[in-house]
Amino acid sequence: MKAYTVTEFIEFLNAAFSEAVFPEGVTIEGEVAEYRVSQNKWIWFLLKDEESVVSCFATVWQLRTPLEDGMQVKVFGMPKVYPKSGKFSVVVERAEPVGAGALRRAFELLKKKLGDEGLFDAARKRPLSRFPERIGLIASGESAAYSDFLRILGNRWGGVEVNHVHVQVQGQDAERSITSAFAHFNTHPELADVLVLTRGGGSLEDLHAFNSEDVARAVFSSKIPVVVGVGHERDESLADYVADVRASTPSNAAEIVVPDRGEIEAAVDGAARRIGSAMEREMRERLARVDRFVHRLESVVMNAVSSFRHRLRDFSAAMKTFGDGIASMQRARIRLTERLVSSATSWANRLTGRLLADERLLSGLDPENVLKRGYAIVRAGGRALKDADAVRVSDNIDIRLHRGGLAATVTEVKE
Amino acid sequence: MTVKKNDKIDFGKSFEELEGIIEWFESEEVDLDEGIKKFERGLELAKTCKERLKEVENKVNEIKVKFGEIEE
Repeated sequence: MKAYTVTEFIEFLNAAFSEAVFPEGVTIEGEVAEYRVSQNKWIWFLLKDEESVVSCFATVWQLRTPLEDGMQVKVFGMPKVYPKSGKFSVVVERAEPVGAGALRRAFELLKKKLGDEGLFDAARKRPLSRFPERIGLIASGESAAYSDFLRILGNRWGGVEVNHVHVQVQGQDAERSITSAFAHFNTHPELADVLVLTRGGGSLEDLHAFNSEDVARAVFSSKIPVVVGVGHERDESLADYVADVRASTPSNAAEIVVPDRGEIEAAVDGAARRIGSAMEREMRERLARVDRFVHRLESVVMNAVSSFRHRLRDFSAAMKTFGDGIASMQRARIRLTERLVSSATSWANRLTGRLLADERLLSGLDPENVLKRGYAIVRAGGRALKDADAVRVSDNIDIRLHRGGLAATVTEVKE
Repeated sequence: MTVKKNDKIDFGKSFEELEGIIEWFESEEVDLDEGIKKFERGLELAKTCKERLKEVENKVNEIKVKFGEIEE
């Protein structure tokens, strides 16, 4: 029997595995255990069932499916014995979760990873053009999704250019064809104002491409806004979460990218009506404003008039008071005059009385009146003679009587 | 204004201008001269938009992409 060297033995085993035993590689199904990543490059884990365990190895760049302990998976790879350690393991090229639970779990893990990276952030979602002229459609040309989308698009809106890239939406080539379509539109941005990635519904396995990291990143890095519409309302994919706008179905994607012709037509008619009525309202308002102005002017004038009237009334009242004053003054004057006259009369009467008395008194003093009573006035040398000594014998004297006079000569002077 | 067949209007711009005019009418103290101008422009835009809405067909172009070719 031939004796192998250790190196020869290991080389033989590895060659036998890859060339004779598993020329197309091997698929092993089991549960992941002791999953670990070292230096962010190497992945180690065990694949096990109830009785056995096999060691698995992979590189981070090659194995894109997120795994974790307890997950049921199918791994595709090649068994290999490492010469340096003599360790046997399966070099894993890819892994597929098995069963709904595991698929769901893998989906959740990738979702968390991409979410943590910010691929789903609402802040990065871009608004869509309200009236796109060109739509980039990424869908399988044979799918119901494709025809549904175009039908609803046509029902709603017209005059749009749809640039369609036919892609595989399922199976091995799906991821690559979808990412290529995104790359194409992004190198020819004139082809689309908005991209629509759509397909019908399906199981998590069917939707694999739409849940893949590569497609999610292609949607994320597209410079053109993306609408993703997958399947029926209840289906959801990672591509949905990354999309700028998520549509629930292919038809809904059409509803999202274009407006409804009828609604817009109504809006345009409404606009014309609203502008018309705004104009009308404006005119009415202006007329009302003129009216108000006239009213105000009127009321100002009326106020002025009424205040003038008030003043006039005040004035006439004042005049009346003034007139009354004058009248009463006149009355007073009359009274005063009357009193003055009456007092003047009585004064005059009194005066007259006194004058008469005085006259009587005076008339008693009048020498004529004395002469009447028999007295005579003797004058010597023109002067009334009151003393006998004033004359001498033989002087001439005048004697005045009541009626007539006498010329006499003093014959004797008596003591 | 009449729209010629080849003279494709930017519907979005026309519609937004129309909306802007409504907003102007409904929010601002309207200047009458400006209002009449905007009123006329608005009716013109409404007519243009209605013309564009008569377009019923959408054109579909098939674009061939070789997968993996465009990995720039």
